[in-house]
Amino acid sequence: MIEMKNILKTKIYFDPYLFISISLLSIMGLVFLYSASDGNVQVIVKQSLFVLFGLILMFIVSQPDPDFYKSNSLAFITISFILILLTLFFGKEVNGAKRWLDLGFFSLQSSEIIKIALPIFLSAYLYDKALPIRIFNTFITILIILIIVNFVRIQPDLGTSLVILIAGLYILFLAGLSWRFIGISSGIFILSLPFIWKNFLEPFQRQRILTLLDPNSDPFGSGWNITQSKIAIGSGGLQGKGYQMGSQSHLDFLPETETDFIFSVIAEEFGFIGVCILLLVFFFIILRCLYLALNARDRFCRLTIGGLSLIFVSTIFINLAMVIGIIPIVGMPLPFISKGGSSLLSFYIAFGIIISMASHKKLMQK
Amino acid sequence: MIDLNDRFSEKKNFFNRLILIYILFGCLFLYILIKTFSLQISSYSDYELASLKNKTREILLQPSRGIIYDRNGQIIVNNTPSYNLIINPSEITNLDSLLDQINTIISLRDSDILYAKENFKTKSKLNRELVIKRNLSKEEIAKFEVRKYQFPSTFIDERYSRESLYPYLFSHSIGYVGNLSDDNLKDILSKQNLSPRETIFKYSNGFLSGKTGLENIYDKELRGSFGKKIYEVDASGRLLNERETINPIDGKDLYTSLDIESQKVAFKELNNRRGAVVAIDISDGSIVTYISSPSFSVNQISNGLSQSDFDNLIYDNNKPFFDRASQGRYSPASTIKPAIGLFGLENEIIDWDFTIDDKGFFTLPEDGRIYRGWKKGGHGIINLKDAIIESSNTFFFSLAYKSEINQLTNYLSNFGFGRSVCLDCFLQDEGLLPDPTWKMNNLNFGWFKGDTVNLGVGQGYMSATPIQLAYYSAIIANKGILNKFSFVQNENSESKEIFYSENIDDDDWDKIHQSMIGVIENPKGTAGRLRDLKDYVIAAKSGTVELVSTETKEDYKIIREVEGKRDHAIIIAFGPMPNPKYAISVVIENGESGGSVAGPVAIEVLNTLIKND
Repeated sequence: MIEMKNILKTKIYFDPYLFISISLLSIMGLVFLYSASDGNVQVIVKQSLFVLFGLILMFIVSQPDPDFYKSNSLAFITISFILILLTLFFGKEVNGAKRWLDLGFFSLQSSEIIKIALPIFLSAYLYDKALPIRIFNTFITILIILIIVNFVRIQPDLGTSLVILIAGLYILFLAGLSWRFIGISSGIFILSLPFIWKNFLEPFQRQRILTLLDPNSDPFGSGWNITQSKIAIGSGGLQGKGYQMGSQSHLDFLPETETDFIFSVIAEEFGFIGVCILLLVFFFIILRCLYLALNARDRFCRLTIGGLSLIFVSTIFINLAMVIGIIPIVGMPLPFISKGGSSLLSFYIAFGIIISMASHKKLMQK
Repeated sequence: MIDLNDRFSEKKNFFNRLILIYILFGCLFLYILIKTFSLQISSYSDYELASLKNKTREILLQPSRGIIYDRNGQIIVNNTPSYNLIINPSEITNLDSLLDQINTIISLRDSDILYAKENFKTKSKLNRELVIKRNLSKEEIAKFEVRKYQFPSTFIDERYSRESLYPYLFSHSIGYVGNLSDDNLKDILSKQNLSPRETIFKYSNGFLSGKTGLENIYDKELRGSFGKKIYEVDASGRLLNERETINPIDGKDLYTSLDIESQKVAFKELNNRRGAVVAIDISDGSIVTYISSPSFSVNQISNGLSQSDFDNLIYDNNKPFFDRASQGRYSPASTIKPAIGLFGLENEIIDWDFTIDDKGFFTLPEDGRIYRGWKKGGHGIINLKDAIIESSNTFFFSLAYKSEINQLTNYLSNFGFGRSVCLDCFLQDEGLLPDPTWKMNNLNFGWFKGDTVNLGVGQGYMSATPIQLAYYSAIIANKGILNKFSFVQNENSESKEIFYSENIDDDDWDKIHQSMIGVIENPKGTAGRLRDLKDYVIAAKSGTVELVSTETKEDYKIIREVEGKRDHAIIIAFGPMPNPKYAISVVIENGESGGSVAGPVAIEVLNTLIKND
């Protein structure tokens, strides 16, 4: 018996806190999605399979030693990049955007893969560089980030490319980018904003930003989504209208209830109390990640955990900020809650890797 | 490769930076939480309302308009049903085959089919009804009803139109309805805390409002209040289910004092001549007969008239739209004489024994100007009673000459001249009671004594409307006590007007009555022709309004070649004597003789009224 326990302890890598909280979140997600999809059983069955598969995937991904990810990071990024290129050429076009690779049984959103692969690759690249990181390495890193971001941006997928960009920048920052460089480059960035506005944003993306500044200017046009989302959230009140009782979502006033705007459905039906409970679960996961990052065994693990957890945090932030109308609508799912294959699985994988990084201890540190 | 020292500082550096980012995100999430709090808790009521407004759609329900009755409870204006064939597009899959099928029993016009096809999709999407054909005939209704089972989601529904059963008789008194302007609609609905929106109509013509006459004056009462149906809708505006119905409150019925029979008689007697008849129930001041001629059909006006028909009415020289009874201005002419006589008695300028020698004309002492009577050689020695019976101008010229003009006009206003006499007449004119101030302000001339003399026989600047003449007639009949006029019984009991006088007593009133009876009954009376047209006694005073002043009868013969220059005929009358119940005034434009042209009309109307009591 004791022997069995020891075997489990040594052979199985597992973080009960993350595993339980993510499972809880996934189940909550299924409950919310059932209402958001107007009781569409087909959607729920499909999503349940993804959740189940995701949890298993998370467990599998957490088993290899971090060194496995470190040494294979180049292979990962290369495969991801090839997938991005394939998408660009052979992708399935939906609503004017080529984001998916049709694999027959599953539409793969390749940008979701590279979202995970890039931080790991950058961590592997930077973990042994001396402090502060030299200008040369900084530029190499930024170049890689920008190339990948640009390939995602032209799909076009502004939301994911933004996440990939900040994910890369997190790693760079956490790895020890010099403050002087940060200061100078942010200065240049701010100065080049008008240029970016003009050349890098699609007209509809610009419209979204403009709408955000004054949603009332055109409440039935592009401001419609933000206005309806705010009405949905606001009318939820303290206790909400009750499960499946949200008029905003069920009478079609709210767009994209299963994906981008699922938070509005939750807020409408479960009120501020429901919102607080949901955020509490998110906070628990985020704080657990912070703890794991601070206690990771080496620099590579620290950077990877930090980077991946910050992707998670950023995604949540972008989604929430978007639906309550403080940033433009960019198309960003709420992790573990929104309907979706690739993005959902990418987070299971990300947390699998986090668990791997956190649970593999080395007696002899480098 | 980095060494141990570096590793230590790297770890510290990483900790600091990660915690920095976490703090940053902590702040951002705090902001999101605060923002969510403000949406859900602080502004909850606003968003709750917005959400409610989103999902509910109110549809107005039109009330039905009150029915208008005559004094005997007979319907004058009614809501007549018409029947429309309606389908429910959202329950129909194949419109074309349905239309073909309908077409086999109810023939559809191409325009109906086109309308149905054009509107089918939207109506279906929004779950609204679609009218296939309006105003079905009885035959069509019967044909459909037997085969109803073949047509699911198809039904016949009632809509109304506002119809007068006597389209020409009440055109000026009751008036007509028309469509409501958007502004008016907004006003009306805002009084009910509603705003214009989709409406389920009771009337095929949509929103109705009274444009003229009683339909206008009592519009609010007749209209009733709108109800509403509250539906739940989705984002596309499709009606999902009915939440609540607040029924409309139908308009109140209007019981008027008008008498259909006397209207018919008055209309027939006027026979499309330009003129007006107003008859009053003296006991309560209610208007029983009110005709302005020529008339027009109110049903055509309210239910659609072609542009050319409308133009014909508008440009008709006889001005059928013009309400002569309330707006036509006529000199009272000789009918004013009893009032002038009463003025003389009140101010003790004359008494019943006072006489003058009427030589056929009156000479104004100031400038020697001559004012002629109608009878060559005059009426000889004559007192007030005979002056009224024979209609001596000279008597009243000389009486007026002795009167102070402001005193006289004040006195005349007691009889209803120069002021409003009706509580609910549409756009009534106040006529004109001239005095020196008026003349100076309007004609920029001073008052001449001759103006006062002219006033003595009701000529000159003075003008009165037929309804004022009826008031004048009624107040004499009732010896100085009278309610203000109204079309609606029991509405006017509080408005009793009492003639204030110091020197006129019952005896004087009786003598005035006697004089006016003499106008018909006395052999010398000017309206002796009316004597045999009735089998009771009535009092009257006729008048002939000179439009063009002529010196001799030969001159007038030339003038009368042009119809529009002929004298107007006027009569006021009341009866049956000695306890008069009805008073009447009749004006016939260019009718020439008050006694023999206007008189028979007045008698026929009085006959009808008195006989039917």
